[in-house]
Amino acid sequence: MHDGTVATLFFYLFAVASIALALGVVLGRRLLRSAVCLIGVLGSSAGLILVLGFEFIAGIQVLVFIGGIVVLLLFAIMMTSEGHTFEQRPSAARRVMGGIVATAFFVVTLSVYVHTDFPPATAEGLAVSHEDVHAIGRKLLSNERDGYIVPFEVISLLLLAALIGGIVIARKHDPEDT
Amino acid sequence: MFPTPTITHWLTLSALLFSIGLYGIFTRRNAVGVLLSIEMTLNSAILNILIFNRFVASDEVDGQVLVLFIIAAAAAEAVVALAIFVSFYRHRHTLDVTQANHICDQGNSTS
Repeated sequence: MHDGTVATLFFYLFAVASIALALGVVLGRRLLRSAVCLIGVLGSSAGLILVLGFEFIAGIQVLVFIGGIVVLLLFAIMMTSEGHTFEQRPSAARRVMGGIVATAFFVVTLSVYVHTDFPPATAEGLAVSHEDVHAIGRKLLSNERDGYIVPFEVISLLLLAALIGGIVIARKHDPEDT
Repeated sequence: MFPTPTITHWLTLSALLFSIGLYGIFTRRNAVGVLLSIEMTLNSAILNILIFNRFVASDEVDGQVLVLFIIAAAAAEAVVALAIFVSFYRHRHTLDVTQANHICDQGNSTS
């Protein structure tokens, strides 16, 4: 929201790019191509987050989502593809059902959005503050009533548990030590 | 030429991305493909939280902190899901979710 016209231009640019690439992720039959499209979707979302004015979150999105998770997915695709990475087409019934569910979700959500009175955006409310990272760090580690120190510790335990669990599940099991 | 994006535009975009991901979850047959769609829906949820943080509570950083937690949870989820997929592929030599009807070793027949 730094500049009205530029922000509008970039909003529509990233919106069109992310929707087109999202359709590529969902409709393509080649998994590797879908994963590359997913990188594009997440990159355009990082751009949209930047347009919203959250520089730190956009950086985290690129570093962790694209650099970590999608690369992990690419590894999984290559480890589990048996020479071909094509996927069988879904049955017509499944496609119709998926289309109905997705369209119904979109229509219901959109009708809620259209009939809700959001507070009007004020100019000073939309002003981008560049002190965000200080505030995030203080919020994340404060033990006041509105701090997030306990969820922070819990999420670090969760990541450690996921790390160990991933190693245990995916390692080769010896036949003798069940 | 185009209207300036309001909160409704932003939320519509995020809902559209979510429904595309939902369609992918329903129609993908490869388990990794399902996971790709799930990551996309997670991404649209992140976008939604940030939109509300910007337009409704713009002097708070709670939405951004929440997004950091969501990204960490998504990373943990991806690690565990991929470990399960690798293990599953080693046993069954396929990742077709329509064939995944049991997880124990007995009964190797793919009914």
